Amino acid sequence: MKDFFKASSFRVLVISIVVLLGLVIYTATAGGSFLAGLLGFVSAPMQSIATDVTGNVTEFLDLDSYSKEELKALVGQLQQERSTLTQQLVELEEKRRENEQLKKQLQISQLEPENEMRSATVIGRDPNDVFYGFSIDKGTLAGVSVGDPVITGQGLVGVVSQVYATSSMVTCLLSEDIQVAAVSIDRQESGVVTSNIITASSGLLRLNYLANDTQLEAGDVITTSGAGGTYPANIIIGQVQSVEKSEHDISKYAVVKPYEDLQNVKDVQVIVSFPGKGEEAPSLPVEEAPPSGEEDGE
Amino acid sequence: MRDFNRVIRYLAYTLELLVLFMLQETPGLLPHIYGVRPVLLLPAVAAIALFEEELPAMAFGIVGGLFCDFGLACPLGFHGAVLAALCFFVSIQSRAFLQVNLVTAILTGVWTIAVVVGAQWLFLYYFSYSMPAYAFTHHYVPKYFYTLLFMPLLYLLNRGLSQAVRAQDHS
Repeated sequence: MKDFFKASSFRVLVISIVVLLGLVIYTATAGGSFLAGLLGFVSAPMQSIATDVTGNVTEFLDLDSYSKEELKALVGQLQQERSTLTQQLVELEEKRRENEQLKKQLQISQLEPENEMRSATVIGRDPNDVFYGFSIDKGTLAGVSVGDPVITGQGLVGVVSQVYATSSMVTCLLSEDIQVAAVSIDRQESGVVTSNIITASSGLLRLNYLANDTQLEAGDVITTSGAGGTYPANIIIGQVQSVEKSEHDISKYAVVKPYEDLQNVKDVQVIVSFPGKGEEAPSLPVEEAPPSGEEDGE
Repeated sequence: MRDFNRVIRYLAYTLELLVLFMLQETPGLLPHIYGVRPVLLLPAVAAIALFEEELPAMAFGIVGGLFCDFGLACPLGFHGAVLAALCFFVSIQSRAFLQVNLVTAILTGVWTIAVVVGAQWLFLYYFSYSMPAYAFTHHYVPKYFYTLLFMPLLYLLNRGLSQAVRAQDHS
């Protein structure tokens, strides 16, 4: 046994593990490394090809009869129509509210420039990721950076968490790591969209911190509020499925079903720039405290 | 000639790990069972370690581990360190204590994959997220059994590879 620990191969093992643990600490603190970038540079093109081939084969197998193709076309058309209508609904509601605000505050006019986006394809999904994260085929060379929101025509799907030259890792909206300031466009009630392992496995989200007397009900559309400057405002997140009592306090939470199938996203858009990006929410004006006499009812 | 065959064998192992990484990462290729997909690299490096000496086994453990780290976007080196140690001991076990065959390969897969999946749950989930028990029973345990299914296949593949190159070596 003594000989075993003195053997040169065991020393090499110990040195290797120490070096690897050093690498763990370095990448955990620095957030990336040359080695990760190199692996990404090598694997991204091959992953892209593998994904294309798999996609073509799957499509071929799925469309082996005419009726399936018809059905697929119909489903695609309906999804697109639903997406367009939902987006129009969000825009309409936003315009109506904005119009009311403008009537009250004549001096305010708002002009939002377009969000700057990059199209990307999902090239990898790691089986070790519990929360359905994925990798895309766009990186720093395409202007993508950490923290960029990732969306599809159906709504928000995640945020870029690591970026390499030609690929990026996206943390899915189903991850417990993500918290999104959200609002109901119908009721103007706000909360924070999160998830956990149970809701994630069902492809659902939670809108937390709702008031006990919340007016939210099934069917209400939830969008991003834009607070905090992490995500642009008015990106669709999903639709309220039910409203439940919180397990921890007297507040309530809404179970939100995303319009997008977050576990099987294929093509996405990365928002590399949007109005208000990185800006903190404006601080509300502090109302003057009433004199102590009034407060005491004197 | 012996060195040349060794280089060919190592290149084949590297290529094998690269291809398996592609296969496990490609969306929609391997079907979901109980909502999980297998991690092909784990049985692959364990199978390679059965046929190689300690240091090459450890090196391929590191390579496979780094691929796992990269795919998961976790701190680079975590799987590398775990698989380096495991493959090192699997190699010693197979050369000193066990006769390598399909049964011992499966038994090796049973404990090595359990150690890696257990380490993933403990270090990458338990300390970071809520409901660890649910995650363990609904994600890690199904993933463990699904991954274990590939151990016999990858053992036979690597045995064939090892025997083919070594046969040339002896001739």
